[in-house]
Amino acid sequence: MSRFVEEDRATTTFRVNREVFTSPEILELERQLIFDKTWIFVGHTSEIPASNSFLLRRVAGRPVIFVRDVNGHVQVLLNACRHRGAEVCRVPSGEAKTFTCFYHGWAYRNTGDLVHLPDATAYGPGFDRSRMGLSKPPHVDEYRGFVFANFDPDAGGLEDYLADSRYLLDLIADQSQTGMRVVPGVHSYWMNANWKLLMENSCDGYHAVTVHQTYFEMMMNLGVRPGLAPPADPSAPKTRGAGIDLRNGHATTMSWPGRAGALALLTSDHARQMYAGRQADLARRLDLRQVEKMVNTARNTSYFPNFVTVDLTFGIQLRTMWPTAPDTTEITGWLITDPELDDELQEARLDNALTFWGPGGLATPDDVEALEQCQRGFAVRRESPWSDLSKGLGREVPDMADELPQRAFWREWNRRMCGEELPYEGTPYAEVAALPVYVSASAS
Amino acid sequence: MSAASLAGAASALVGAMLVQREVEAFLYREAELLDDWRLEEWLDLFTEDCRYDVPAPDRPRGAANQTFSLIHDGRTMLEQRVIRLKKPTAHAEFPHSRTRRMITNVRVEDSGSGWLDAKANFAIHRYRNWTHVLFVGEYSYRLVRAEGGGLKISYRRATLDLEALNPEGKVSIII
Repeated sequence: MSRFVEEDRATTTFRVNREVFTSPEILELERQLIFDKTWIFVGHTSEIPASNSFLLRRVAGRPVIFVRDVNGHVQVLLNACRHRGAEVCRVPSGEAKTFTCFYHGWAYRNTGDLVHLPDATAYGPGFDRSRMGLSKPPHVDEYRGFVFANFDPDAGGLEDYLADSRYLLDLIADQSQTGMRVVPGVHSYWMNANWKLLMENSCDGYHAVTVHQTYFEMMMNLGVRPGLAPPADPSAPKTRGAGIDLRNGHATTMSWPGRAGALALLTSDHARQMYAGRQADLARRLDLRQVEKMVNTARNTSYFPNFVTVDLTFGIQLRTMWPTAPDTTEITGWLITDPELDDELQEARLDNALTFWGPGGLATPDDVEALEQCQRGFAVRRESPWSDLSKGLGREVPDMADELPQRAFWREWNRRMCGEELPYEGTPYAEVAALPVYVSASAS
Repeated sequence: MSAASLAGAASALVGAMLVQREVEAFLYREAELLDDWRLEEWLDLFTEDCRYDVPAPDRPRGAANQTFSLIHDGRTMLEQRVIRLKKPTAHAEFPHSRTRRMITNVRVEDSGSGWLDAKANFAIHRYRNWTHVLFVGEYSYRLVRAEGGGLKISYRRATLDLEALNPEGKVSIII
């Protein structure tokens, strides 16, 4: 059994040793065995809409140029000159056909090819400039606009890696006929806590009521009833939704329609009409079961190791995190939307989203506070070495407030870090998604 | 210059100095209310149709209704933000941060028709959990004359100079 992750189905217990949140040696191993081996989210194709548009990003600790090259192809170029290593691009975003290193003037086309070096005749005949282009990750691939890179030359394909999490990306991508678009403005912030705590927190239905009590009170102050109370219909499920292991360490929590999903600040009839209109528009071109999940459920999805999508009916957030130290994490959050929504609905959704999310929202700071308090508490890890993640273990369809997503994450972490395979838990996505509850009265 | 025009210029200068002094006193008073966590009194400084914006650090000039800002509050949400911050269940600010605001470089532009635009620089020191964080940036205000002659805030934007919220990411205080 692994030293760090312990699961016992007989006693329905699951626990994680807190050393994984504090040890610099473990962080170094994570970089080698996880971040250098898995598919890491780079960005969305809408962020580089036209040829020659680029932006800088950090991917698995590497500075990269995320660029649509002169031929219209998405490229991920490592932002370090092949000559002496300086970053060749120093502006955060823009348009460029070439990137020129200011140190000695080596210039690269936005395909990565080296096109100019000063005093070129001084280089001998064996110097092959065609092999001196900017380095690239060995694998870059896209799934429905979401671009990922993999730094392992022996990596398998992206779609196999994403496994059932593709269904959750479909539920985002299909919301727009012309292509989803990332909204300008990046939430870039740090927390003083281990990165894995945020992966745990990002699809943790258990914390919502306690951590975000003030958010729900705000909703009620504005006359909106959050969908947290049990349904009046006695035949309705007693749980709030499902926790689903999407395989390969990915997982989601998906509410039953209208349950815990009604988080949008619909404070007027007009707003309600706008939301209903959007649902009707989608129903004209998509399967009702899909539409019901898209617009009427809350879905928090984690993609191993460090990518998250959260669709809380009022907006969709993308989030990544990178550990700069065992107790320090760099977090990036974006909003993605259907650009075809009318301006008023777009603005209402944007407003609602930033009221909840981000460093200035009414919810995210409390999450960060909780995780930082955990990190502080880990100072007692010798006397209290284990974090417990047993909630809902053994249920056939775990509740969305059970700790299935965390366990799915840790099983994959454990497999990659310690070489130990633990069995699959719960009910697969396709079976849960086919349950009758996912077509409600409003959609049928 | 004639005596009359000299007197006119002097009067205009005194008027501008008085307005400058009034705005500075107003901003210092606002900073004091915030540092003292007298947030309900702070809310009283705003008009009913007010707006409080904090742009995303990478889009300091972005249109607030089209970018993923940090904060884009109208009066209703500003009230709710204050209600929330006064509760012990606003975990990120319980216990409250200690803050000290330095407001400087106040520039006032008097429209002469009932409203003023003001800019000021700020440095907000925040202490919590034995950690010091410094928020630096620029305020933009639109101030209007209230009934009774005092000033009210109809627009308040705090633009951060920080490129990212590093080292600590919570903008859970009013900045």
